[in-house]
Amino acid sequence: MIVGEQKPLAEIKDKVSSYSKLLILGCGTCVKTCFAGGEDEVAILASALRLSFRKDDINIKIEELTIERQCEDEFIKEAATAVGRNDAVLSLACGAGVQMIANRFARSPVLPGVNTTFIGVLEKQGLFTEKCLGCGNCMLDIFVGICPISRCSKKLFNGPCGGSQNGKCEVNAEIDCAWQLIIDRSKSFGQMDRLITYIPPKDWRSSQAGGPRKLVREDHII
Amino acid sequence: MVENLKVVSATTFKPENAEYSKPKITLFHCINAISSLTDLVNLNCDITEIQMPCSSMTREVFLLRAFEAGADAVIVIVCPKGTCRYIEGNIRAGKRVARMKKLLDEIGLDGRRLEIFYIPQGDQTALNDAIYQITDNLAALRSNPTA
Repeated sequence: MIVGEQKPLAEIKDKVSSYSKLLILGCGTCVKTCFAGGEDEVAILASALRLSFRKDDINIKIEELTIERQCEDEFIKEAATAVGRNDAVLSLACGAGVQMIANRFARSPVLPGVNTTFIGVLEKQGLFTEKCLGCGNCMLDIFVGICPISRCSKKLFNGPCGGSQNGKCEVNAEIDCAWQLIIDRSKSFGQMDRLITYIPPKDWRSSQAGGPRKLVREDHII
Repeated sequence: MVENLKVVSATTFKPENAEYSKPKITLFHCINAISSLTDLVNLNCDITEIQMPCSSMTREVFLLRAFEAGADAVIVIVCPKGTCRYIEGNIRAGKRVARMKKLLDEIGLDGRRLEIFYIPQGDQTALNDAIYQITDNLAALRSNPTA
């Protein structure tokens, strides 16, 4: 999932203070799961903003709405009426959702309320960790299911740097050394010999180095 | 979930001749921690009681909405640690209250308006002490500026 974190209240308040009617628009998929922009977080933020503005004697009307996904036009349509009756939209989606809303509603200012952080997993309740950089050319088969691009601080393809201690990264002792994990897992599969193969420098054109990416599925285009 | 919360009118807990200006306190409590507020005495405040089947029902937005509704302070009463009938309801409530205390600070209302107390079932003295503590906090904070 895409993991995000809600912006600090003061920053959000500063962004929205010039509008008198505000729609806080939540997204019910990724950012809901990471407690940044689902229905509950929309309600908490709306309440906090109302209290904060009321304390400052500022009159601002806040409407709340959460749609299933802000990255799909099919769901965004449901927000059209609410968007139309407000001066601005504070989107609690990831960056993709914010841009999709902005694209759909050309006349409404759309403001981001979440900092999109990474593609990751729910490691355990309340802990999200990064697992993928979206490089566009997955090599997880070579690295026995552990990605050195997203999980090695130095993004090394041909073995560990030698700086790790007790399986922890020298960059940050809270990070597991990805190469320690790759070696341990390769050993358990009896596949250490596969790591002897030299991995040439990656062609990053499939990643962001090639500019904004596009995926076309002709079989789904009518 | 809201349907499971039982809201009880607080007017019966007002002392005789209570003045309008007395602090308004919203009291969320687990029904396993307190069954009734009828034994509370000599309260110099106006209490709105909200019963919950377990303190895990303490949701952040309800705490904030109590302030939106005009509460000067909010109290959450839960069972002591290790005694929750549903294992971890009071732990969850504690974490949510801690988060909302920080948010109240950010809002500028002061996190001391919201407190959680871990009270053994039937301990009316502890309950009275909790209310005295929050009214003490309010003496410094005064009334809810958003009300």
